[in-house]
Amino acid sequence: MMGWPPAIIAFVAAVAWFAVFVLVHILGWRAGLGHARWLLITYLASLLATLASVIALAASAASAILPVILALMTSACLFVIYVPAVYTVLTSLSVQSMVLMRRRGSALSLPELYGRFASRAIVEDRLATLTSSGYLAREGERFRLTSRGRTLARAFAFVKAWWRLGAGG
Amino acid sequence: MKAVCLASAMTVVLLLLVTLAFRLRPGKHRVRQMLILYLACTVALLGVWLATPDDLGVLPPSLLPTPRWFDLLLGFFFFTAAFFGGVLQLYNLADRGFSLRILIDALEDPTGTIGPDQLMSRYGGGQGIGWMYDKRVQGLLEEGFAQRRDDSLVLSAKGARVADMFIRVRGFLNLDPI
Repeated sequence: MMGWPPAIIAFVAAVAWFAVFVLVHILGWRAGLGHARWLLITYLASLLATLASVIALAASAASAILPVILALMTSACLFVIYVPAVYTVLTSLSVQSMVLMRRRGSALSLPELYGRFASRAIVEDRLATLTSSGYLAREGERFRLTSRGRTLARAFAFVKAWWRLGAGG
Repeated sequence: MKAVCLASAMTVVLLLLVTLAFRLRPGKHRVRQMLILYLACTVALLGVWLATPDDLGVLPPSLLPTPRWFDLLLGFFFFTAAFFGGVLQLYNLADRGFSLRILIDALEDPTGTIGPDQLMSRYGGGQGIGWMYDKRVQGLLEEGFAQRRDDSLVLSAKGARVADMFIRVRGFLNLDPI
């Protein structure tokens, strides 16, 4: 491996440490740590390990610049592909609908599906998740946007308007 | 390093083209539009990569020592990740994000707040929560994961395979059975 070009070493190191991150993340998930904080902590640890490996393998500080950039880019690219897959498993209502149908003999009546997935319980569950994630703050029976939630809502409202996506959601 | 520069620039071009397509040719099949643009930009990326010098006329020598074949592969990898993990996900979140729409509903409410009763009847800018699930059902039908029979939804063979896969994944991850 020492004879490999630094760019390839950086790529391999980023992929290897990302694989370690996925393994640790999934093990934590199985142990009940399936929340966003666990995802971020394990990913940041793998990113630091990637950087440490690439810098340690570089011949000099100057020659480490390109490998560091490539390793960071590689790791970030793998992360943005991995995260949507995680959230599809965790939160997709379409996936949950198909799973429920499969468990009930591959078919369900529409009233039952709507009763389950277009229900007040689903709304309350999502409001609770948004509150625990710091995007909403509870005020009696209602929920107010936090500054973090307002920033995110404004950003996506802009994207929806810019791309003319309509109401969406 | 040429790969990083060209893939980044092509991602900006792709974003501009997607914006133009959505604004000038609005339609139901936006993901298909995006995929066509992604493929066109991938071909353009290859053309630009072949037509430009390794240093792009500006890169210092310290950022050049990447094998040419590997630099090209990296360019495709970075651009593909930027599309599937970036542009396409941005669209999915903006168009289908349940949680994000709740936040936008709160933002658009004159009081700046939202409640479960209001969401049930007025989620999605006044559409109601049933409309949110209509979109999911429509998606399952259009993608061939399910068929409608009378008052029921029935999984297709493709839908059953996908559901089995997710059942195994959820079981492996010790997630709540649905």
